[in-house]
Amino acid sequence: MTAPGETVRRPNVRAYRAAVVSFVIATAGGIAAAIGYATDNTGDLLGLGLAAALFGIGFGLVCWAKYLDFDEHAVQEREPLVTTPAAREELHEELQTTGAALGRRKLLVGLLGVSFVSLVVGFVGPIGSLGPKPRGERARTPWRAGSRLVSLDGTPIELAATTFDQLVTVFPEGHLGVDDSQVVLLRMPPELLTQRTIDGGSLQGWVAYSKICTHAGCSVGLFGVDNRPPDTLRQLVCPCHQSVFDPLDGAEPHGGPATRSLPQLPLDVDGQGYLIAKGPFDRVVGPVAWNEA
Amino acid sequence: MTDGAESAEVETSPDAATARRPRRGLVERYIDSVTDRLGADSLTGKVLRKVFPNHFSFLWGEVALYCFVVLLITGTYLTFFFEGSQQRLVYHGSYRPLEGAEVSAAYESVMRISYDVKGGLLIRQMHHWAALVFIGAIALHMARIFFTGAFRRPREINWVVGVLLLILALAAGFTGYSLPDDLLSGSGLRITQAIILAIPFVGERLTYLIFGGEWPGTDIIGRLYPVHILLIPAAIVALLGVHLALVWRQKHTQFRGPGRTERNVIGLRVWPGFAIKSIGLMFLVAGVITAMGALFHVNAIWLYGPYDVGAATSYSQPDWYIGFLEGSLRLMPPWEIRIGDFMINNLVFSAVLVPGVIFSGLIVVPWIERHFTKDDREHHLLDRPRDAPHRTAAGVASTAFVAVLFVGGAQDIIATTLRVSIGHVTTVLQITAVVLPPIAYFATYRICRALQTRPGPDRTERAGVIVRDAGGGYHEATEREEEEAETAASVGAGE
Repeated sequence: MTAPGETVRRPNVRAYRAAVVSFVIATAGGIAAAIGYATDNTGDLLGLGLAAALFGIGFGLVCWAKYLDFDEHAVQEREPLVTTPAAREELHEELQTTGAALGRRKLLVGLLGVSFVSLVVGFVGPIGSLGPKPRGERARTPWRAGSRLVSLDGTPIELAATTFDQLVTVFPEGHLGVDDSQVVLLRMPPELLTQRTIDGGSLQGWVAYSKICTHAGCSVGLFGVDNRPPDTLRQLVCPCHQSVFDPLDGAEPHGGPATRSLPQLPLDVDGQGYLIAKGPFDRVVGPVAWNEA
Repeated sequence: MTDGAESAEVETSPDAATARRPRRGLVERYIDSVTDRLGADSLTGKVLRKVFPNHFSFLWGEVALYCFVVLLITGTYLTFFFEGSQQRLVYHGSYRPLEGAEVSAAYESVMRISYDVKGGLLIRQMHHWAALVFIGAIALHMARIFFTGAFRRPREINWVVGVLLLILALAAGFTGYSLPDDLLSGSGLRITQAIILAIPFVGERLTYLIFGGEWPGTDIIGRLYPVHILLIPAAIVALLGVHLALVWRQKHTQFRGPGRTERNVIGLRVWPGFAIKSIGLMFLVAGVITAMGALFHVNAIWLYGPYDVGAATSYSQPDWYIGFLEGSLRLMPPWEIRIGDFMINNLVFSAVLVPGVIFSGLIVVPWIERHFTKDDREHHLLDRPRDAPHRTAAGVASTAFVAVLFVGGAQDIIATTLRVSIGHVTTVLQITAVVLPPIAYFATYRICRALQTRPGPDRTERAGVIVRDAGGGYHEATEREEEEAETAASVGAGE
């Protein structure tokens, strides 16, 4: 320091002590971590020991820098970043000369361009191998006329079951867990169903809808009955983005971002009294592409 | 016997300078051996004496950098155990409630890391926490750059590089979050598939290419894995190199203060002050993340269970940095546009346009500002936010909009906590998203203008310097004395 007015600096004893303590804690932390690992205490002792070791080293270094008083006001000039007109001119000239020399062979330039394009074309094939071409698989599900509805444990559903207002997730028999065939099955008082729902294939109060939300594809797994007067309210709700569907009215969207109703699965009953599908869905289930609406 | 050879060389060397030196330590000899081959001028002259200004807000970028270091180290450890495969198998690990459940190999391997690899859970949780802090630090860093106007000429390029780094960090976070193949991240992937499907013309083909066919397929985890551990980190490392090289070349910005001009930079030299503090910060960041990994559970996939096509749960919130997108999906009114057979899906608005506008808006920030201010000069001195009230107001308004989306991502939690209908919460938030930004703009602008009239602190560091005068007395330095002292103290520090 050769300042005209001499600045006074006392050694920063506190910083020195803090650095000593930090490094001691760091050392203890490493040892604690080793003990933690050896004694199977990986939950706390290992992690906190390592944390103490790392933090101690870091804090110690910062204190050390403080103790040595590295806080300085060093001045550095900025060299200008803008290029001088002369340098710019030179660069342009350089590029123009080489550019002109290269561009003189028009045929070569053109052919190089064309070969790059063909290179890209050549790679289209391997990129296409990443996935098959869509061939309408998304419009088809395993549901067929006569497919029996079975719950997650594989048991068929009896028409006579009197479980009102309870949501059951069902799949077509033999296709348990296949994504696009998941269906919510509900039994509600038949007199409440709208004509549209009845036309869609309800059966004695039983209704079945695709369980895949038409908004973004989550499973519409929430069914709520609100008994507070004046009206009893029944709602199917998607837990991801809170789209609400009305199960009494063809699963029309009644709230949230969904714009399309859940496709309805027409129901029938077989000779043994179990619920079966009368046919497949009449449209693509779940979220759709631009031309599938 | 390098040792013998070197000492022999010293004895026989005619070089007086070398002969005069006392016996050198191992470190010095090593440094000498390197500088003798590469030349030391540039190292001592340019690298070690490079000056970095000091301000707490300049730390966020460094914090992000050191989070990335933690991510690379912990992530590499995790790759030794993780299996990027959707092969179905039966779980027989230490976590009893899942005994006998059919899970994917990916899920099983993450369960093994969490329960059967000793210390594995700690490393896994450190990795996840580091990712969460990483993106938070990037966001704060970006806010600092924005509100102080550090993106102006000549730093527009680095602003763009920074936005690209943010996008890459989000991609890294999302791909990593999806790897365990648990119910929560599986729902996230399902939604992602629906979003891609909604893209006009190419959506369906694109989902088939990405997922290897119809949802869910058996390929996606195995494909995300190399993207997460190779492609994205490599891109981040490359852009980070550019980012830091540009800071190095253009030198750091600084706040206004005594002696500070557009033509200089005042602060700590790289060696020793800046380097020691920065290395210290690296250990501090790693220490905090380790403590978080040890103390706080994160992404407890055993509670979510393995992905199951027929299931989804309430209170499905993604990692925080996807929250704004989640909110956009939840708050978007049920709009879609139909033109004949052609339809623009609701998801195109909420999940393509909204983030598209946010990120392209971020990229063009320097040019938007230039358009309004007509200011094309170089700026190395930072603005205090109040001194650029329109910019600050625009930043606060944009942040307010994204914040409403973020809150919207948890609208179900708000509704159940406050015991009100989700529909009402959604409506309120929809209105807020439209109304709040202009209010925030106006209020911020007024606050900035009001603050401008107040005398602010014109120095940003070190309040007072005590000077001993010739007579032996002490007094606080006058501004002139202090500037002289600073100039004198920094002689020789320049490049």
